Amino acid sequence: MLKIIDVCKRVEGHGDVKILLQNDDISLVNFQFDIYRGFENFLIGKKLLDIPKIVSRICGLCYASQAIASCKAIEHIYDIEISEQTILLRRLLMSGELIKSHSMNFFFQTLPDLLAIFDFSQKTLTPYELIHYDPQLASNLYELIKIGNEINILFGGRSVHLISLIPGGIIYSPSRKNISLARKKFQNALNNLEWIIEKFIELFSNHIPPKEYHFPHFIFVGLSNYEKYDRYSGNLTIKQNNKNLIEFEKNNYSTYFGKEKDLHGIDFYFENKKNVIVGPLSRYNIIENYGIDEIINYLDYFNKSWKNNILFANFIRLLEMYIEAYHGIQILDDPSLNIREQFSPLNSVKNLDGIGIIEAPRGTLIHHYHLNGSNSIDRIKLFIATEFNIPLINEMITRYAKELFEITGDINLVKKDVQRIIRAFDPCISCATH
Amino acid sequence: MKPRVTIISLTSCSGCISTLISLDIFPQFLERTRIIFFQFILDAKNIEDTDIAIVEGCVSEETQITLLRDVRKHAKKVYALGTCASCGGILSLSSSKVADPISNYIETNGIIPGCPPPSKLFGNSLIRLVENKDIILSQKNMCGNCSLKRDMKINSHINIYKIIPNPEEITLDEENSECFLKNGILCLGPITRDGCEYKCIKMGLPCEGCMGPVSKDFTSNLINYLSLINLSQELKEYAGIFYRYSKPKFRR
Ligand code: SF4
Ligand code: SF4
Repeated sequence: MLKIIDVCKRVEGHGDVKILLQNDDISLVNFQFDIYRGFENFLIGKKLLDIPKIVSRICGLCYASQAIASCKAIEHIYDIEISEQTILLRRLLMSGELIKSHSMNFFFQTLPDLLAIFDFSQKTLTPYELIHYDPQLASNLYELIKIGNEINILFGGRSVHLISLIPGGIIYSPSRKNISLARKKFQNALNNLEWIIEKFIELFSNHIPPKEYHFPHFIFVGLSNYEKYDRYSGNLTIKQNNKNLIEFEKNNYSTYFGKEKDLHGIDFYFENKKNVIVGPLSRYNIIENYGIDEIINYLDYFNKSWKNNILFANFIRLLEMYIEAYHGIQILDDPSLNIREQFSPLNSVKNLDGIGIIEAPRGTLIHHYHLNGSNSIDRIKLFIATEFNIPLINEMITRYAKELFEITGDINLVKKDVQRIIRAFDPCISCATH
Repeated sequence: MKPRVTIISLTSCSGCISTLISLDIFPQFLERTRIIFFQFILDAKNIEDTDIAIVEGCVSEETQITLLRDVRKHAKKVYALGTCASCGGILSLSSSKVADPISNYIETNGIIPGCPPPSKLFGNSLIRLVENKDIILSQKNMCGNCSLKRDMKINSHINIYKIIPNPEEITLDEENSECFLKNGILCLGPITRDGCEYKCIKMGLPCEGCMGPVSKDFTSNLINYLSLINLSQELKEYAGIFYRYSKPKFRR
């Protein structure tokens, strides 16, 4: 047996692709990582108030999601209600994070791939080449990265590892000046996104996406609030074959999936578990519609061949940025944003288990903490979006690599294409190797 | 000739890299340099001769030592980016993993500290690197310019029993009037390098030392400081303070 290891390029973090060759056939392709940092272990015994700051450092792309899921889990332990203002501010921080994360991914990772896949470029363009290829597109995208970042600085105090997020509330009192500044930013984002979305439609909507990115039987997992798009609150939902919508309370997640002893990877307790997908494509499928007319129009440009194709996630990411900027403006106009309430004191532990769930940019994120009799954390489980997607990624790349290798016998081509499929999922390796 | 730049990540959260990309001056940085290796945005596979190498993340695996030495061999100058690369960083909290600063293995030409580095300092440092100048860091601690400072003397009369104020006790900067140490809350300002523009303190939270020490080793500074003040027994045993961003030398 021959083992080939190829280092992943243009992904966030360090991952490898392992290809096993047996008698000139590919037997297995795996997307894997060698470094596990062990947050679930070293968080044991840490003070509850200290934990959100530590878990933020799991990931420099979805820091806000990590810290907010953590705050929610801790608030569950103390059984406290947080103010409307806090929820609105957390939503703003999540929007900033999503806009930054999605636009970085689009600029550096998926746009160069899309241009190559649909033959607009001979090779994968570097950022330098991309700037020359379409200066307007590059500058609009870069503007979005900055807008997401500025929203985080404005309401979080820093571009990454936000300071204002703490259990029980948020340390911030928005000034009128900052609110109007943020409104300008979101408005700017909307203008940019209209341009980018139309560009995307113009470039790609008349093409048929390649079949290797196609997958007919996804099982979508995500949060939805009565089938509305909502990444902060809502129930966990599982949807299969366009039906079987199972909605359940966060406390019951362990009926459907869990984590075994070594805490690497997620175990699903239902059939066809290799088809589970979380992230933008799942959110799109789980909700009824996005509730914004423009978005419905944009979606109409794409036919069926796109909708079960992983590459469609790239378009959904653009739409999600639009939706978040749109909601961002609504939040800034909400009078509750200005009503500062006292923090809810974290006095007495009411539940020994605390579960916090939100939708991070890359999909469902769950923090589950358990306290022992002396109220000290003794067990931690973190369910991370990329971990949910790994069985499906491996299934898809193995299936495709086998086919491609049988036809072409070209291992370099296999390596290149497998990497592209992986990137289409927008994996976050920092998160997955927590 | 534009300087050639190599950017690598070891064990990290990628937060320094994402901060880099979202800096106002990043387009200018792209313009004025030639980035030849940067896994996050380029397909380049091999480490080649470079003028400036920037390293994010700590060393936690054997293979990273080889990579690091390879980068050093090919680079005129090597800089540690962020607290992970310069002190060890958040993984220092782990008792089973190594979290070494890169300077344990190779000679470095400077650091850009912070978790993540504050945007202004980060941007200015990059511009200096492009202009072939050294990075300038403050040689003062936080307290020097802290707005809360009221002639605080570090001594055993300071009783500390908390590392974070309770949420309901937090007040924003403008309402704040007293140094945290006066209220029994541990602030690492006295041993932490100035340069973050008081981000945490402005939000009513004490400094947790993410910029690293003004001089020498972080943990020895920390141990000296904590031995001067009167720390509650509970906090003396709390690993979250001592190993927050760095491991003491003897634990390696
Ligand atoms: S220094 Fe902080 S922001 Fe930078 S890689 Fe380390 S944990 Fe992430
Ligand atoms: S100990 Fe902290 S709060 Fe007090 S003066 Fe120093 S930096 Fe400011």
